[in-house]
Amino acid sequence: MSVVLWLTAVLLAATILVGLFRVATAPDPASRAVVGDLVFFSGIGLIVILGLFKESAAAVDAALIASVLGILATVALARILTRGRR
Amino acid sequence: MMAVLDVAMTVVIAVLLLGGGFWMLTSALSMFHARDSLSRVNVLSPATGLGLPMIVVGAFLQHTRTDGFAADMLGKTIITVIALIIVSSVASNVLSRAAYLSGSPVDPRTAPQDLERAPGEGEQTPHSDDR
Repeated sequence: MSVVLWLTAVLLAATILVGLFRVATAPDPASRAVVGDLVFFSGIGLIVILGLFKESAAAVDAALIASVLGILATVALARILTRGRR
Repeated sequence: MMAVLDVAMTVVIAVLLLGGGFWMLTSALSMFHARDSLSRVNVLSPATGLGLPMIVVGAFLQHTRTDGFAADMLGKTIITVIALIIVSSVASNVLSRAAYLSGSPVDPRTAPQDLERAPGEGEQTPHSDDR
């Protein structure tokens, strides 16, 4: 099971690295916002995997809060893109 | 009997976790293939709508396998999965609207493109690759 956890962690870490590289090379700000969102969700996945490594149930709460409140980050990015217009 | 069940559960957990990681990485790599920011919003959804829920469900099953069943854990997992699906769809909508309003370029091959023409301007023909 430890191998599976490590492989999943590697996949998520690769997602974050590829996403950050894409943020650096993105042509327009909207693409950066989208890929930044993907990096955020990969971070949630890494928190869940970390909770499995430590056998801690608190990671489930962290994932719950992050997924419910994650929309605030996206809406904030959207408002930044449109300079405050709705 | 219990040993067989344990092996089966381990396989299901492995498939869920690795499959979730696979979808996340697929979504990240697709960001290079999409041609405009609206398409990038579109290829984000496998990660948030399928990959992350698979990882969360796999983590719940693994916690159940090691520590035994807990009802509050099940409730939290269900809320997380539902919230992820709702958040990803609403967030995609808000983000793509903001992306278009902020004037980010749309792929010129997009057809039909109803956002860029006046009403009653006539029919548009689909792009030849998509027919």
